[in-house]
Amino acid sequence: MRFLLRRLALYLIAAWAALTLDFLIPRLAPGDAAQALIARSQGQLEPEALEALRVTLGESDAPIHSQYLAFLGRTLTGDLGTSAAYYPAPVSTVIATGLVWTLVLAGAAVVISFVVGSLLGALAAWRRGGWLDAVLPPVLALVGAFPYFWLAMLLLYGLGHHLGWFPLRHAYGDAIAPGWSASFLASVVRHAILPATTIVVATLGGWMLTMRNSMIAVLREDHVALALAKGLPPRQVMLRYAARTALLPSLASFGMALGFVLSGALLTEIVFSYPGLGLLLLQAVRNQDFPLMQGLFLTITLAVLAANLLVDLASAWLDPRVRDGARRSR
Amino acid sequence: MIHRPLLLVVTAALAAAAGCTDPVPPRPPGVLVVSQEQQAAWIRNFNPFLAPGLARWPSRGGVYEPLLVWNTLKGEYTPWLATAWTWRDDARTLEVTLRDGVRWSDGTPLTAADVELTFRLLRDHRALDLDGVWSFLSAVEATGPGTVVFRFVRPFAPGLYYVGQTPIVPAHVWAGVADPVAFANPKPVATGPFTEVEVFETQVYQLGRNPHYWQGPPAVRALRFPAFSSNEQANLALIGGEVDWAGNFVPAIDRVFVGADRDHHRYWFPLVDGTIVLYANTTRPPLDDARVRKALSLAIDRDLLVEVAMYGHTRPADPTGLDDGLAAWRDPAIAAAADWVRHDPAAAGRLLDEAGCPRAADGIRRCGGVRLELTLQTVAGWSDWVRAAQVIARDLATVGVAARVRTHDFTAWFDKLQRGDFALSIGWTETGPTPYPFYRGVMATEATRPVGTAAARNWHRHGDPAADAALTAFERALDPGEQRRLATALQERFVAAAPVIPLFPSPSWAEYSTARFTGFPSADDPYARPTPNRQPECLLVLTRLRPR
Repeated sequence: MRFLLRRLALYLIAAWAALTLDFLIPRLAPGDAAQALIARSQGQLEPEALEALRVTLGESDAPIHSQYLAFLGRTLTGDLGTSAAYYPAPVSTVIATGLVWTLVLAGAAVVISFVVGSLLGALAAWRRGGWLDAVLPPVLALVGAFPYFWLAMLLLYGLGHHLGWFPLRHAYGDAIAPGWSASFLASVVRHAILPATTIVVATLGGWMLTMRNSMIAVLREDHVALALAKGLPPRQVMLRYAARTALLPSLASFGMALGFVLSGALLTEIVFSYPGLGLLLLQAVRNQDFPLMQGLFLTITLAVLAANLLVDLASAWLDPRVRDGARRSR
Repeated sequence: MIHRPLLLVVTAALAAAAGCTDPVPPRPPGVLVVSQEQQAAWIRNFNPFLAPGLARWPSRGGVYEPLLVWNTLKGEYTPWLATAWTWRDDARTLEVTLRDGVRWSDGTPLTAADVELTFRLLRDHRALDLDGVWSFLSAVEATGPGTVVFRFVRPFAPGLYYVGQTPIVPAHVWAGVADPVAFANPKPVATGPFTEVEVFETQVYQLGRNPHYWQGPPAVRALRFPAFSSNEQANLALIGGEVDWAGNFVPAIDRVFVGADRDHHRYWFPLVDGTIVLYANTTRPPLDDARVRKALSLAIDRDLLVEVAMYGHTRPADPTGLDDGLAAWRDPAIAAAADWVRHDPAAAGRLLDEAGCPRAADGIRRCGGVRLELTLQTVAGWSDWVRAAQVIARDLATVGVAARVRTHDFTAWFDKLQRGDFALSIGWTETGPTPYPFYRGVMATEATRPVGTAAARNWHRHGDPAADAALTAFERALDPGEQRRLATALQERFVAAAPVIPLFPSPSWAEYSTARFTGFPSADDPYARPTPNRQPECLLVLTRLRPR
């Protein structure tokens, strides 16, 4: 319990620090949303209209500390403000358009990549020197080292444009009305395959190598030798005795990866025009839309913190030493 | 429990695999697919008074309609919601007659009260007055069911253009809107050809026909807009024939786009989007000397410039600075006599010598003992301008002017430009029905501001008293002959003083496919500006297209 409370306090402080940075960073950037609008309309705006627009879009001349207090107050009550790039839509509405799609695409891709990568890593270490161990790590490391943008464009052009196997853009077919129909779900899956594949292919190698290396270390441990000597089935030894322990280092990075899912697989969403949070973040930056940027950063921060909390809990469950350590320090 | 989602995923994956054979669903006939805005996600907003980019296309010219549509290519107003207009009191009063029988999409008739309310909204909410009409208007009154009188604070004949292109909204809807600036207008009631929002999703929206359209039902059944987040995505769809009409930049367009379907894919880029110029800050000597500005102009190889920067889609600028939309106003004699809008490095050198800027031993000129070093600013990421800046810097070096290219983010660049904190900058100029907006923008003393204060135009801070007189006279001039005489006087002043250095007229991008629709403007049938990017002029095209 004490372990949990200490963690929670730590996360609260982290959340406050993140909020403060979230407030400050956009204000250090030059320019404002109103000017970004003129850029889009190539100066077809009169200066009087611009000035009025600046006031409307919430460019405030109030002192920075009172802006900060107002920002904290509004954020705590869940009011993220009005987006400038999508004025007059509230930031929460704009974020809602992308949240589901990012969760679907990047969430699925990260989980698949983690599960498959870790399993492959465990297998490679278990049959060390086998063909899996010999071929896969170098190949995946090579693919992972390609510039992601290039890899995604290549797949989009080859499999999407040239062969026509997969749709070129969007999260589902434009002709289908969203709903819980089979054709809609099929469309969602078909649209997700190509972008998700690019993420999995690019990240699989990392998970596999981490798992393989920590698994090799674990396999030398006494408890594995003991389990084998006792005559337990090898499959059980591999998964329940060795892999469970070896998963711990990967788990921490999995938490981070899961948290960053909400920042949207930025490049993936750009290449595949996938309507997620990453694409919104890009629009927000392009248009100097500070409220939207803040809302997105806040969402990402909270997601990272929540994912880390979950990982803390999971590793406490997986690794008795974490719990014992907390108890001993009392 | 665990297996149900798994089953779903597997089923869906199988369905997906089976569906691989129909990547592009057939489009219903008569639905025109347009790519104009590039957005990550569509947000429902049809408020025509908000800047383009906030309100969905074509809120200003398709959903809502203006009183008059200026046809850039024909050089005339097309009467739209108004059928006639009369000037009185030396261009101080404008009386407009509304078209009979126009109905809003809910069936209510259009009246003068709607026009009066529209302009009252702009007066009370300056953020909506994008063209700044209340900088010259003093009152707008409905004097009858079909007549509206606009009173001006001073004689201002060019005001017709700005009043004419204002979108008119229904009083019976907008009078009840508490805050028109924050009004997203999700269900527009309008007079335009496409007013019914049939689909509105994050990725796509579709606008259907106005059941009461005054020109009769439009031949196009609906407009459809898939969301493309980038130029690359939009171009891919355009090449694949998924988009019928677009206004994007397409690299290597003949091979990439036309080559993909030689029978149907067409483009036409008339040079009517204003002139791109080199601004030279006249508050910084020696740029205050017209001879120096002319010398810089003579140093530039514009043939190379348009090839490198614009892929040959434009040509070197006219010496009068007027784009092709204003071609009828050009005085050929003046253009021929202008000797500084051509490539002649030797003449440039002579002019600089004459202006007291001799070459020093290191090859760089000295003006009054100071090295002639100039920073040329442009916008980071606007690759055409960046390439143009590089060509210019190289050319200036050949005549002994050390020019350094600096790229800034748009906002930083624009801020420096407006405040006059630059030596040289590439920039756009204004255009309109007459040469007045262009010459006011580059020569009017009233448009200049002290360095450090933001100016809306005349960023190079060149006030020309002789031009001022002609510009003021132009504001009163209603007679075409008188306008022409004044336009000629302005061209003479421009050519004499070289307030800015014209580079090239800006192309108006337009690509279309004739596979499913006919009636797009082309060089053979130049009935209107072909781009979707200019509202409300796109109305001329939207009402002309026919499905095959």
